[in-house]
Amino acid sequence: MEFKEVVGRRRSIRFFEPHRPVEREKIQTILEAARLASCAVNANWLRAIVVERDKLPRETLDQLKTPVSAVNLELAPVHIYFYGDLGAVPRSRGSTLKELVDVGALNPSHGWSHKFVDDLVWPMILEPMMSSPIMQTQAVAADCGVAICQALLAAVDEGLGACLSAFSTGIAKQALAVPDDWLPIYCLLVGYPAESWQAGGQRPRPPFEELYFEGKYGTPFQRDQNVVESLKAANMIQAPAPLPGRREEVRELSRRFGLPE
Amino acid sequence: MQLPKPLEQYDTVRTWFDDFKSQWGENPDDVSARLDILRHFCQFVGKDPDTIIRECLREVEGQTKISIKGRRFYDEKIREFQASVEGDARHKARWGNTIRSFLIHNGIFLQSGVQLC
Repeated sequence: MEFKEVVGRRRSIRFFEPHRPVEREKIQTILEAARLASCAVNANWLRAIVVERDKLPRETLDQLKTPVSAVNLELAPVHIYFYGDLGAVPRSRGSTLKELVDVGALNPSHGWSHKFVDDLVWPMILEPMMSSPIMQTQAVAADCGVAICQALLAAVDEGLGACLSAFSTGIAKQALAVPDDWLPIYCLLVGYPAESWQAGGQRPRPPFEELYFEGKYGTPFQRDQNVVESLKAANMIQAPAPLPGRREEVRELSRRFGLPE
Repeated sequence: MQLPKPLEQYDTVRTWFDDFKSQWGENPDDVSARLDILRHFCQFVGKDPDTIIRECLREVEGQTKISIKGRRFYDEKIREFQASVEGDARHKARWGNTIRSFLIHNGIFLQSGVQLC
């Protein structure tokens, strides 16, 4: 699938085929995509624990649910629990940055050297940043979000349905033997969709000009309709929700799975 | 428990069907069956519909919020009610989900979990 279409087809899928297994190579592809994401200071904070739902004890599965995620967690055959490893940067003490210098990604042309990392970046920026819970959490969460987004899009590209979900982090920590310094981020639920891939159409979004500005806040970035049309042709911008027949589809699924209407 | 007035006259029952119609674009095709199930549930817990919803809410500094305790109580009561119904899994789910639908359309968030696969 072309990249633009992958972006356009992504929906949060909430009805999965509960007993259709997901091929192991597809899960690996999702993880490979996450691993290659952009990350500040090449820290690679993201960690993941892949869980096959049916290998979880029933009691654990029930405990992992939050009030809003019960149905999703039950229907998705694969759960990928994502965490940010808060120890990644303190352990590396700037060595991941020096790797970038060594491979020619960070260069003297832009002011980079091993000595700059050792004398300034680590002691004056990274170490204080990692000592501040707020700054640390911001950095880790933002970068994990970038990587998880690549995982999500890879799942779509593999023809799977996916949905980011909350989970009971305390239960997961115990059940999955999560290290103490891992920050829970999201659970990516993965499976084959039981709903149509359109899932009722692209979700409502605020107008483009309300979100993006040019030069300064308050001056909307002007949206070129020619670009919009080309993105429609590339299936990135698709028909907005609700599509005809969505109500009937949801009612049928609700009845199939014994869910309230 | 004998309800003092017909179920249809309770505000929360009207809200249920109004919101149902707004959500699904039509009235339930089995209104009388749904009311009958709700009547059984009211008898099961010994409360009228408006009281059930009120007990799932609480007032905090002038704002109405969902009561975790109340919601949990009724979630459990619905499970007990559903289990007490005779019939197959689909029939039991229908009875439980009718009450869940009543709560959900009155703004009380709850999920049943997958009951049929």
